[in-house]
Amino acid sequence: MDESQEALCALRSIADPDLAHWSACMRELSLHILDALENSLAAGATRVELAIDEDTVADRLHITIQDNGRGMSPEQVARVFDPFYTTRRTRHVGLGLPLFQAAARRCNGDVSISSQEGQGTRLEATFQHSHIDRAPLGDMTRTLMAFLLGGTCDLHYRHRVDERIFEFDTAEIRAELGDVPLNHPAVRRWLQEFISAGEGTLTR
Amino acid sequence: MNLAEICRELSLEVRTGAGRLEREVTGGYASDLLSCVMARAQAGNIWVTLQAHPNIVAVASLLNLAGIVITEGVIPDEATVSKAEEEGVVLLLTPLTTFAVVGKLARMGIAAA
Repeated sequence: MDESQEALCALRSIADPDLAHWSACMRELSLHILDALENSLAAGATRVELAIDEDTVADRLHITIQDNGRGMSPEQVARVFDPFYTTRRTRHVGLGLPLFQAAARRCNGDVSISSQEGQGTRLEATFQHSHIDRAPLGDMTRTLMAFLLGGTCDLHYRHRVDERIFEFDTAEIRAELGDVPLNHPAVRRWLQEFISAGEGTLTR
Repeated sequence: MNLAEICRELSLEVRTGAGRLEREVTGGYASDLLSCVMARAQAGNIWVTLQAHPNIVAVASLLNLAGIVITEGVIPDEATVSKAEEEGVVLLLTPLTTFAVVGKLARMGIAAA
């Protein structure tokens, strides 16, 4: 491949963020999480609870995402891991959940979805924490910032690594801010720092 | 065929291990699943992957691989780079895809693991 072809490859990646997204999913779980959070937004959620639990003693990584979106019928839930089932209208393939499930199953874990129409949806993903194929969690700060700045959905976040916990609720942050929006540049900078520092306390 | 010749032919960026490029390459293996690499790759092999997290250094070290080519323009983070420096693992970077790299290596005569 010559230089011009390489440049074209790079350009395609920018033009089609999905390209970069899918290969990055192999490398980090945070992108699977972002994908699931985007499903919650698409379902009209105004509040999402994201809990990440890393228990190195039990050797389990547990991710839970609970939303208050429109939920799904039993028929829809039955198809959610079928890559040929998608609510997108631009294509007939929806890979997010099938790939997340494949990643978990490779690591002695699984992804399950439960939902009630009109009430919301709950995703639970488990992995054997030390499994050699278990991708690292990756950049949760970037994932959370992308989710928070994309709209007005509230987030309750809890990330536990053994005894250490980092937790916050954007409802409380918004209450403090009053009229100032979360995506105000100064707030954005504060949020980035706050989340990055909080995540940092977990790994020391 | 050694790592230095491979780096030259493929225009690979040497991220770590500049002093270890005289190492002869015994073959190649490509997979993004570390469990597969553990099962198949041999000592002296060059490993082609888009994975760039610190565990790849552990695998390369355990198996005594010649080096790792990280593809698709992925940039390994500081944790991976410092681990590689500590362990003496060669990390080579390229914007090319895994398929493109493997094709070039095969044409250069590198055999499958």
